[in-house]
Amino acid sequence: MTESFLKRYSFDIVANDFIAAGKGSSTIKNLLKSMGIEANLIRKIAITSYEAEINIVIHSYGGQLHCDLYEDKIVIVSQDTGPGIKDVELALTEGYSTATESVRELGFGAGMGLPNMMKYSDDFEITSSSDGTVIKITILL
Amino acid sequence: MNFSIMFDKDKCKCCTNCIKRCPTQAIRLVDGKAFINNDKCIHCGECIKVCPYNAYTPEPIEWYEEMHFSSYKHKIAISSTPLYGQFPKGTDICKVQNSILKLGFDSVYDASWAAEMVGMAIKRKINEEKIRPFISTNCPAVVRLIKNRYPSLMDHLILIKEPMVIAAMLAREKAKKKLDLKDDEIGVFYLSPCPAKLLAVTDPVGDYKPYVDWVIPLNTIYGELYRELVKGDNGLCSHPSLNGTKWAVSGGQSESAGLTNYIAVNGMENIIQILDEVENGNLTNVDYVETLACVQGCVGGTFNVINPFIAQSNINYILGNTKDESIIEELDEFDEMYESGVFKFSLKPEENQGKFNMKEAIIKREKIKEIYDKLPGLDCGSCGAPTCYAHAEDIYNNESTLYNCVVLRANKITEEGR
Repeated sequence: MTESFLKRYSFDIVANDFIAAGKGSSTIKNLLKSMGIEANLIRKIAITSYEAEINIVIHSYGGQLHCDLYEDKIVIVSQDTGPGIKDVELALTEGYSTATESVRELGFGAGMGLPNMMKYSDDFEITSSSDGTVIKITILL
Repeated sequence: MNFSIMFDKDKCKCCTNCIKRCPTQAIRLVDGKAFINNDKCIHCGECIKVCPYNAYTPEPIEWYEEMHFSSYKHKIAISSTPLYGQFPKGTDICKVQNSILKLGFDSVYDASWAAEMVGMAIKRKINEEKIRPFISTNCPAVVRLIKNRYPSLMDHLILIKEPMVIAAMLAREKAKKKLDLKDDEIGVFYLSPCPAKLLAVTDPVGDYKPYVDWVIPLNTIYGELYRELVKGDNGLCSHPSLNGTKWAVSGGQSESAGLTNYIAVNGMENIIQILDEVENGNLTNVDYVETLACVQGCVGGTFNVINPFIAQSNINYILGNTKDESIIEELDEFDEMYESGVFKFSLKPEENQGKFNMKEAIIKREKIKEIYDKLPGLDCGSCGAPTCYAHAEDIYNNESTLYNCVVLRANKITEEGR
């Protein structure tokens, strides 16, 4: 991590737990709000961290959501333990979804998760293998 | 800031009901009495509703003196859309209007006419602009809540003036033309179900003229109105717009505007949940989010007298059993009015907050967290703050001390006793 790194806040995300789904990102959002982060940045963080969390809940075996604070940026890191994304490029296409019917019935899995994360971040990195997926969403202050 | 909620210190028993229900955590109990932070208060009236000892009351305005001894040559009463629901089912609307006149007004202007036109303006703006979802702006308490807790959603506000303002503007214009009067010779009084409207007149969130001179809390004149009603004079009557009257109830404004893809949400806690969804980017497939701070909408207004659910039933009865005979004179001029921009408004500019420093923000947060970790996490409210976290923030800001916490105090006593 670079020199300007200041603090990491982490949250465990449990796979398939739709009762807790959204709590991690909501805690991040409220934390940053109470710290006085500007409104338009809150919006970007709210959308991207929520999408990242829901992806862990729906698609992975579980993982963690981190909020890394730097002097000049905020980085949301989403990390899970697999099974990974088969075709990352395809997954980044708007509307493409591998979510099951039962998940779609809950109102999730519209295929906008990754495209939205990309759209609302200043820098977006994704690496995926069968061991898991790591997404880094950078939002500049 | 002008203040619309009065607090009677002698009645307060420090029961913590108000501090816990305040949606912006604006209330603290200090030295055994509740204290409202004006900068945070959004005038939703929750504290008035939940106080078991009636310690909160609407600001008493000297409407009687204003009515009878003021120099206004023409006094107009604006009736709010939930008003007719405040009387027994089947009450003749003409009688209600005549009772209002008997209180000393020269004319009644029905807010439902303005509401119908505001509904048209909302639909038009939704069709013209791409923002999704738009969030309603007729409930001043919600607009202030968004300003206070959801500033990132400010650009979703539809910024169409509320029916009260449009009604007052149209009523004024009409009286000026008809009676050849000047602006200051006309007094406009709004019979309000809502404490937030008091503030919407004295300190509007937008850059518009409210056109209303006085807001009368409905419960302060209800007795007089009811007594006149029982006398039962008919007299002249101008029919309300049934479409506009729907605004009294949650979902009614969307319906009156002819929207089909909307969410109607009422009650502060529910609104907070929906605004969180909007903030997370989940409702971009919805055109309009209609938000009303009170349960069931304006029929649940704090200054109303009748239970919100009964009032809603009364309104529905009126909607189902009245012939729509309203004639809105200004309706022909709607397009022209819309184009001229009278329905739209912009928010007052925000004060500049200064440059954000992440390092300082983290140090502050960690200090508050350190204090918070010492507290029991019960959120009991006995210290005077609504939650342990709010208490920790107050301690950080030197507004409270650790030993205001009853649990810590009790632990200390136990230890000392050992």
